[in-house]
Amino acid sequence: MAEPYYRANVLVCGGTGCTASGSAEVIAAMEAEIKRRGLQDEVRLVHTGCRGFCAMGPVMIVYPEGIFYCQVQAGDVPTIVEETLVKGRVVQRLAYQEPDTHKALPFYKEIPFYSKQIRIALRNCGMIDPEKIEEYIARGGYEALSKALTSMTREEVIEEVKRSGLRGRGGAGFLTGVKWEFTAKAPGDVKYVVCNADEGDPGAFMDRSILEGDPHSVIEGMIICGYAVGAKEGYIYCRAEYPLAIKRLKTAIAQAEEYGLLGDNIMGTDFSFHLHIKEGAGAFVCGEETALLASIEGRRGEPRPRPPFPAVCGLWNKPTNLNNVKSYANIPQIIVNGAEWFSNIGAKRSPGTAIFALTGKVNNTGLVEVPMGITLGEIIFDIGGGIPKGKKFKAVQTGGPLGGCIPAQHLNVKVDFDSLKEVGAVMGSGGMIVVDEDTCMVEFSKFFLTFAQAESCGKCVPCRVGGKRMLEILTRITEGNGTLEDLDTIREIAKGMETGALCALGQLTPGPVMAALRYFEDEFRAHILDKECPAGTCKALVRARCINACPSGVDVPAFVALTAQGRYQEALDIHRERNPFPLICGRVCPAFCEQKCRRGDVDEPVALRQVKRFMADQEKDHPWTPPKKEGPKDKKVAVIGAGPAGLTAALRLAQLGYPVTVFEKLPVAGGMMAVGIPEYRLPRDILNIEIENIKRAGVEIRLNQEMGRDFTMDDLLNGMGYSAVVLAIGTHKSRKLGIPNEDLPGVYHGVNFLKDVALGKKPDVKGKRVAVVGGGAVAIDAARTALRLGASKVHLIYRRTRGEMPAWEEEVHAAALEGIQFHFLTNPVRVIGTDHVTGVELQAQQLGEFDASGRRKPMPIEGSEFVLDIDLLIPAIGQAAAVECLGSCGDISFNRDGTITVGPDLATTREGVFAAGDAALGPATVVEAVAQGNKVAVAVDAYLKGQKVERPKYVTAYHNVPQVFNMDDYADAKRPQMPELPVEQRVCCFDEVELGFDEKTAREECKRCLRCDLEWVETMGVEAVTQSDKDAVAV
Amino acid sequence: MATVNIKINGQQIQARAGITVLEAAKEAGLDIPTLCHHPALANIGACRVCLVEVAKQRTLQPACTFPISEGMEVETESPKAVEARKFVLQMLFSERNHYCMYCEMSGDCELQALAYRYGLDHWTYPSPHAKMPVDGTRKYFIMDHNRCILCRRCIRACSDLAANHTLGVRFRGAKTMISADMDVPFGESTCVSCGTCLQVCPTGALIDRKSAYMGREVHVERTASTCTFCAVGCGTSVVTRAGHVLRVEGDWDAPNQGVLCVAGRFEPLYDTRERITSPMVRKGNGLVPVSWDEALAAIAAKAKGNGGKKTAAYVTGKALNDTLSEFVKVFQGKVRATVGTLEPTLADLELPVGGALADLDTADCVLVVGGDPLATHRVLGYRVKRALDKGARLLVVSDKPNGMAALAHRIFPMAQVAEAVKIAQGSTAPVVIYGGDLDKAGARKLAALTGKARFISLFQGTNGYRARELGLKNTLNANGVKVLYLLLGDGELPEKAVQEARRAAFLVVHAAYKSAATDAADVVLPAPLWYEQDGNFTTLDGRKAVVKSAVAAPEGVLAEAEVLARLAEAL
Repeated sequence: MAEPYYRANVLVCGGTGCTASGSAEVIAAMEAEIKRRGLQDEVRLVHTGCRGFCAMGPVMIVYPEGIFYCQVQAGDVPTIVEETLVKGRVVQRLAYQEPDTHKALPFYKEIPFYSKQIRIALRNCGMIDPEKIEEYIARGGYEALSKALTSMTREEVIEEVKRSGLRGRGGAGFLTGVKWEFTAKAPGDVKYVVCNADEGDPGAFMDRSILEGDPHSVIEGMIICGYAVGAKEGYIYCRAEYPLAIKRLKTAIAQAEEYGLLGDNIMGTDFSFHLHIKEGAGAFVCGEETALLASIEGRRGEPRPRPPFPAVCGLWNKPTNLNNVKSYANIPQIIVNGAEWFSNIGAKRSPGTAIFALTGKVNNTGLVEVPMGITLGEIIFDIGGGIPKGKKFKAVQTGGPLGGCIPAQHLNVKVDFDSLKEVGAVMGSGGMIVVDEDTCMVEFSKFFLTFAQAESCGKCVPCRVGGKRMLEILTRITEGNGTLEDLDTIREIAKGMETGALCALGQLTPGPVMAALRYFEDEFRAHILDKECPAGTCKALVRARCINACPSGVDVPAFVALTAQGRYQEALDIHRERNPFPLICGRVCPAFCEQKCRRGDVDEPVALRQVKRFMADQEKDHPWTPPKKEGPKDKKVAVIGAGPAGLTAALRLAQLGYPVTVFEKLPVAGGMMAVGIPEYRLPRDILNIEIENIKRAGVEIRLNQEMGRDFTMDDLLNGMGYSAVVLAIGTHKSRKLGIPNEDLPGVYHGVNFLKDVALGKKPDVKGKRVAVVGGGAVAIDAARTALRLGASKVHLIYRRTRGEMPAWEEEVHAAALEGIQFHFLTNPVRVIGTDHVTGVELQAQQLGEFDASGRRKPMPIEGSEFVLDIDLLIPAIGQAAAVECLGSCGDISFNRDGTITVGPDLATTREGVFAAGDAALGPATVVEAVAQGNKVAVAVDAYLKGQKVERPKYVTAYHNVPQVFNMDDYADAKRPQMPELPVEQRVCCFDEVELGFDEKTAREECKRCLRCDLEWVETMGVEAVTQSDKDAVAV
Repeated sequence: MATVNIKINGQQIQARAGITVLEAAKEAGLDIPTLCHHPALANIGACRVCLVEVAKQRTLQPACTFPISEGMEVETESPKAVEARKFVLQMLFSERNHYCMYCEMSGDCELQALAYRYGLDHWTYPSPHAKMPVDGTRKYFIMDHNRCILCRRCIRACSDLAANHTLGVRFRGAKTMISADMDVPFGESTCVSCGTCLQVCPTGALIDRKSAYMGREVHVERTASTCTFCAVGCGTSVVTRAGHVLRVEGDWDAPNQGVLCVAGRFEPLYDTRERITSPMVRKGNGLVPVSWDEALAAIAAKAKGNGGKKTAAYVTGKALNDTLSEFVKVFQGKVRATVGTLEPTLADLELPVGGALADLDTADCVLVVGGDPLATHRVLGYRVKRALDKGARLLVVSDKPNGMAALAHRIFPMAQVAEAVKIAQGSTAPVVIYGGDLDKAGARKLAALTGKARFISLFQGTNGYRARELGLKNTLNANGVKVLYLLLGDGELPEKAVQEARRAAFLVVHAAYKSAATDAADVVLPAPLWYEQDGNFTTLDGRKAVVKSAVAAPEGVLAEAEVLARLAEAL
């Protein structure tokens, strides 16, 4: 019976990814629904192989329109049938949505994930029913075979493949045509063709998808190869873990045989070819050709030295051509369309396409086929849709466990065999694992090494022993027991393995570690020297991710647990051990702890900053007298600058018994906390409470004392009798825009603007049109302050997009709410005005290549200039230390960015003089300045005691607060919203915007904490230090 | 033969095409260090010690597997090669327990020698090795995994030389271990204790129990000889120190290619029988030591004039050629006594003899009839198994349980020998191995293969070939014998034969050890042991194999031929 003439085809993906997300149920429901509506003669349901967009599975395409539906569930089926198949309308909610704009893109060809792809090897995957040879033939299948057998000689076929420039897709990239020629020319009557389908890279599934989605393309490629090299028999070596692939291959082979496309006298010619499937047991090393052949022969899958190469002496010592699944899948297209067609796709020396299994921390995980020569950044950000949850891209691992990582600075690298090699990675067979800031590169490379060394066959010494030794060293480093010599040892072992191992597995095993070491040596050194894991994943070094993320190392779980119990004073004491400014940080901290909170992996992070604020607010009326830790000392210390770094350093030194004097240039103490952060974020009375706390420790703060004007460094160290000086002068100088007319009146630099407002100078902004330039915290603060001072209109000009703004997202959101007008992808090129600013000329930007930080560089669009009429221009594009005051100090060196040169011990180039905070770090946050203050105090203390400390570390006891309530009760608890002043009320005054949690909200919120620290205590077998169980109060 | 010109370390070398860099270097007198390589074994390029720098090659290449080609330039001790080699050695030393000072092989260890050669005088990598098991379940030698470097020489010896396939590797990567069968204790495995693995082990991982710690190579002497425990005639190297035999090793250059069997390598060293060191004559109830003259005179007194059937003399097939000649001369020539051998010589089967071990290397069909080489001529049996590994067919014709039956493609009862012959006739290069269980009727059918097949006879006596040549057909029969002379050498008479011998009125036993036979004797003459004699014997393939004394016989023990000569004089 002839097939009905269908008016619509519904293709449902049956790839592994979509099957896992429920495509089988969708198919069943669709079948039932079509039947129920009596549409079985009009609508055809096709169960296809992998369509590639696994992140969005189960996916469905409805033809002839090409409507693409994502994450379809069985329950959606009646709607789809009703709306699309009956009424011809798109179900918008099932369409793919652009991540930024949430715009629905209902048509397959519009979706960026697909629009940048070129599908050659995957051309049929997801388009046909892989179990029907007729569908393959309908899409041009076996045309190439017929062309080769009937109109081409063997030599012509090889010549065509050679001219196409196809390079082996198994990873090594050897020219396929040349390989075929070797086998064809090798003496011998019996020859074999073998397909390597032993795909073993963790996370790679392209071979599997082709075998499952389009098995005939591989079979056809192999038959053509058999014809070209003179083989009558072929083997497909496929791992037994791919049962579906094996089943589809068997079906396909049977169908091809039935159609006379495989077997004796193919298509009536005298060419015969038989194909067998050999199931492999899943040893990774069996992907190596000689090991694979040994395995087919029934021996232990181990590589042997080459020469002789398989082309001469392969399977059962006969000449054998061995290619990867993807290589064979390309062949029919090359034969049909010709070598020129193929060689014009992709890169010059790597023609054609590359297939990647895009996985890891990327939005659009799945299988992509892209032209060679596309940049890495395009794959990850355009096709892959960037990094989830707004995290920062860190690196991408290509080539699987034998490849290497590529960091952000190489996002512009072209993806082809040779370019990837240059940056220390390899093409490999096509795994691409994206990692974000939360991945520790030491741990990450250790993961691959663990895999590769476990998969070593154990035959040759360098691989068998070298991998193990290297893993031991890496393990040691991740546990905080590494030494710097270990890094040299790793390099030595790597060299030994690369030059000495028998096969590619051993030679490439050190690859991931070496690439990580090449680009992320700092992380290795942090593990070794500071016993810290910056990414917060190495268990032994990370008590909890929040503690690890906090620059000043506040014991977050402890204060949260105590706050939950209502024990605010104890909670505060613990906080102040590391950071004396809980009131301030409860308001202005960007809360690095929250960004890494594990609860965030479940739903939303615990509102740690707000909890902190609540905790601190409870005790603000009870003045804190910092405890003394050591007895009084004679040597005096001078601290220059009363910002967070200076005050913290002063506090810690005073606690150690040193008489400390803080010299402050301004009439107020607090540094940027006083003159940088606007009052609507940090009220002055709150700030002053914590400054008074510092004074209570015995610290003397002298205001209006400017270095160079009121005293000199020599005065301090000689006449005034200070034994050590800490420079904590911050960064109070604004960077210039570097455009014409910048010095015109009406250009008011952001830092100065905020300072003047804070000091009560009340700049005249009322009724004026203001434009702020920049995307950081100062720019937002300046804009919101200008609004509050009565500006008629406030513009914010930023050269990149919103997602790339360094400012805190909540602040940006608040600014937008308050009516600030953003101009993204815009940059000022000229200030307009004769004696005063009247406008600014802006130029539109577009994002181009990636810069070293992994962000796309703004590139000017010529001719896009336009003028914005304004009265005031506030540049806020960065700050530098106002180091002029140090001119008289002598012997102090500076870095190119204007920061003071310090060693790891924060000592400057002048004996007895140290530097900390923004002046040493560059502009940063309060909590980072506090960390610097803590650290410099340790350094100064050691210096004054005549001790040598290379890497001072501020150490405090940790606290083990018991868990006193049932955590399960809070499994579903939601993070509360912070109550805020209504927008209309806040824009006209400097009242604090955030209103704070009430007690119940705050204490309940604390109970959402997962207490990761307890897990660490248990794993590490550490004994509790402070609290005992009996102190616990059940609430 | 085609030759190619290559350069090794700047030295221009002309070598045969197709050989490896290692072979070419060796022929030119250049020494490339190796570890997993062994001349008798196939190369696997695993240890990476022989890595050399070959011009235009991306990576270093193992000299043991890399073939030479015209114009090739090789540096064997370039900095890169030496660095890689040292790395390999350091890795090996970090892998397991290689504290040489406690090792039996210290001084003779190939790993240790390489470490000295490349100046490894300290641990570069910490050696955190876990303690490995020591397998002491085998009687004659021990496997100490702590000393193993996984070079797999033992595995290749077991598989490729002995064709026994007991040893293999289990696990992979750093967990790789040598194991027997499916990981059973060696003593419970299919191991046949041929000891070939022991002989190829480069370190102290396989240790001979008997000779361990008894002397390094520089302390011992070696005597090239031939094993006298069966007719195969395996070349041996007898290792001695201060008059003691420490161990026996196989001769790599002999037809046995280094392989021995348990009966030749180990068992004789564990012989605990009591030695006879003086002639003895029965006086009263006991045997009393006497002088040679007195003992020989006592025999002469009885034997004189007792020729023909009244005197009979039988000799062990183990006797060397000159002993056999002298034996025939004295007893057949002079005494005209009935003479024969203690073991049958298969002469009555009237089948060809003289097939050699090497014939099995090209055989495509092996016919084993009426005998079990794996029980009696083991090294021959191993060679058959090697032939099977290469694809030969095995046909076993036997009415008894046969050690080769499990390997046979087909098994026939003796009555159907003709069918086996028919199959063999269809092959290209058949080899027939026949033994004493073959009857005359069967032999006649087997004879059909004459001309096509090579025939290997399983002589029960070591020197059966020569005995057959000398026409020594008779087997022990004491019926009506007045004087019976038995030359046992260091062999032993079966219980049944002892009973037969007792029927003689006057029994002379010429033997190395005390036994039931000597207890029954009227005169006992001492004989030397296997390692105390010089001479030769004829192997089953007709080769004249040289036997050399490794240790002098105790004073008063004379060579068998000399004793016979002196007896002739006394007669």
